[in-house]
Amino acid sequence: MPRTTTVESPGCPPLRALTFDSLGLVKVIEAHDGQDGGAVKMVERWGDPDSSKCVLAASILDRESDPLVSVARKCGSIEVISAINGDLRAQIPNHGDEDDAITGLHLFSKQQSESSSRACKLFTCTTKGHARMESIELGGTVAEFVRDPSPTVWDVCGSGNILCSKIDGNENYALFGGKGVEVNLWDLQKCVKIWTAKCPPKNTLGIFTPTWFTSATFLSKDDHRKFVAGTNSHQVRLYDISAQRRPVISVDFRETPIKAVCEDIDGNTIYIGNGSGDLASIDMRTGKLLGCFIGKCSGGIKSIARHPQLPVIASCGLDSYLRIWDIQSRQLLSAVFLKQHLTSVVFDSHFRKEVPVPEVTNTVEEAEVIETPAKRKKGFKDEHTSKKKKSKRSSKKRLSDDED
Amino acid sequence: MKETLLPSSIKNKEKRSAVHAKLKQQKKVEKKRNQKVREAAEKKALELGEDPPPKKTPRTIENTRELDETVCKPDDEELFAGNDADEFSSILKQECIPKILITTSRFHSSRGPDFIEDLRSIIPNAHYYKRGTYDLKKIVEYAKKKDFTSVIVVHTNRREPDALLIIGIPNGPTAHFKLSKLVLRKDIKNHGNPTSHQPELVLNNFTTRLGHRVGRLIQSLFPQDPHFNGRRVVTFHNQRDFVFFRHHRYIFETKESKTPEGKDKKENKAARPGKVVARLQECGPRFTLKLTSLQNGTFDTQGGEYEWVHKPEMDTSRRRFFL
Repeated sequence: MPRTTTVESPGCPPLRALTFDSLGLVKVIEAHDGQDGGAVKMVERWGDPDSSKCVLAASILDRESDPLVSVARKCGSIEVISAINGDLRAQIPNHGDEDDAITGLHLFSKQQSESSSRACKLFTCTTKGHARMESIELGGTVAEFVRDPSPTVWDVCGSGNILCSKIDGNENYALFGGKGVEVNLWDLQKCVKIWTAKCPPKNTLGIFTPTWFTSATFLSKDDHRKFVAGTNSHQVRLYDISAQRRPVISVDFRETPIKAVCEDIDGNTIYIGNGSGDLASIDMRTGKLLGCFIGKCSGGIKSIARHPQLPVIASCGLDSYLRIWDIQSRQLLSAVFLKQHLTSVVFDSHFRKEVPVPEVTNTVEEAEVIETPAKRKKGFKDEHTSKKKKSKRSSKKRLSDDED
Repeated sequence: MKETLLPSSIKNKEKRSAVHAKLKQQKKVEKKRNQKVREAAEKKALELGEDPPPKKTPRTIENTRELDETVCKPDDEELFAGNDADEFSSILKQECIPKILITTSRFHSSRGPDFIEDLRSIIPNAHYYKRGTYDLKKIVEYAKKKDFTSVIVVHTNRREPDALLIIGIPNGPTAHFKLSKLVLRKDIKNHGNPTSHQPELVLNNFTTRLGHRVGRLIQSLFPQDPHFNGRRVVTFHNQRDFVFFRHHRYIFETKESKTPEGKDKKENKAARPGKVVARLQECGPRFTLKLTSLQNGTFDTQGGEYEWVHKPEMDTSRRRFFL
């Protein structure tokens, strides 16, 4: 008899995520409460399919008003788009040679100067180790943005390939690691290397495994001294720069390389994903495996994202599914098939549930939203968030603000 | 009350088997009766010149398959954009001619070489290279340099081929298949001998995105311009995730339509040609493939990323298929 009962997925809390894939598409995924049991759905697709625009790295500037997403493409260009409606805000053309792919990208959330609120700082790192930090002045459209004429450029490594780079929570330090490059920490203000790891000793047979870091992250938001790195030889290592240059804890996880590492906000749990689609959480105080996230996940994991407030993580990878997991029960909350190999996922944490509006006014409101790209749809939380702002203004007034 | 009693709840064996036998008999009788009713209805409809009642389709594992959202749809523009961008598009658009390198595992003998001989006769432009003691990664590198488009590795265990590895060159995926039920050409009775024409290719039932990709991988092994006058056809038929390989020659024959009157026959023959039937002759070999993993990039067991790996937790339903 065919199976009549299906396993009910519990559904996830209202959230909004953006995924980036190998055809250069950006897809907006939303989950709404009470609607279809909280299943996630693709609501929007930005961009046209083009394999040369394959997204290599993405970073979100997650804030209440005017959130931005920066995207590094395979052709070498970097785009800054609005996370609300996908409008292109800035485009930095390719610099350097074609085969030097971008591996790390970060959009700074800290404003370096109070005067210009539209300026944002962008950090990129390429495979060959060319790191670059520049600030750009954003306008309303692509034509209006201004690049900083003198970006900070430095070389991270002489040889080897950089495969992972990460900026810490306070955005003062950067972490690099890769194939043939031991993990090293840089001070971003002075652009100096402050720490390098030492390779682990040979094993009892005298065999030395070559250095090959595939992923790295800082363990907690406000501590730049502890970080976790995943290696190609399926090891997860915890480094503490105040303790020693060799890993403090090293844990083996299954048999394929660790491809994604993501930290929890509690500062000691990390989530790891490997090349054959296993996702697990590890407590880094003890190095113990807390448990695996079991679902029908069959393709290598490329990216994991932790939601800043809700207890959920999202994972995506080569099986073209975006999966939302609960971190306590480690249960699959929802999954959505997105048709392409996904390369990256980010959460837009300031998404609020829409207030149910009558259908007649719905279209009007949507039209308004299109007019005011940088503003979110009105939500029930808007009431107190808007109090923080100077005054309640109508959306048309906001529009005029945007254009000046 | 007695009607609803299940035989399995009776503890006395004699009684239980008696009740069970009775139930079975009842079911059999009912089935026969239903059949008769259906036949009668059909006959009646025929007599009245009406359409016979629609035939019921039997419920099979395939048509009660678990719902899969990854099944390719013909109106999916992202699918076609993805196809244009994938590793096989240059071969499938006939921009380059497939050139295949066939090699083996380290040790092979007996049925392995025979199978490779058969494979070479199936796949045009396939070249066998001795494995020697080379690493597979070295062979892949060599193949890249010599402009091969695919590498096939036949893995032999206990003198019996048991796995097939198809690697797309230069950056195509690596598919790892379990190979079973191999019957070589020489073991097939009344087998035909294939000509050197380029074969036609039939790929059946590769429906999901994964299946589509595997289908394209297989398609990229063969030239895209078959010689139809060779009347050679190679079939990869997917059924419940098993890919059955068959190789046939076919011929069209006109059968004269048989009519009882001799005079009519002549007129008929002039008026309409006889029924055309296709006859098949199997050329062999026969084998069955089952996908165990599909790896992104060329062969790399240590650092490879998998697009799909078979995991035991996927086998929780008989009606879930991936290809």
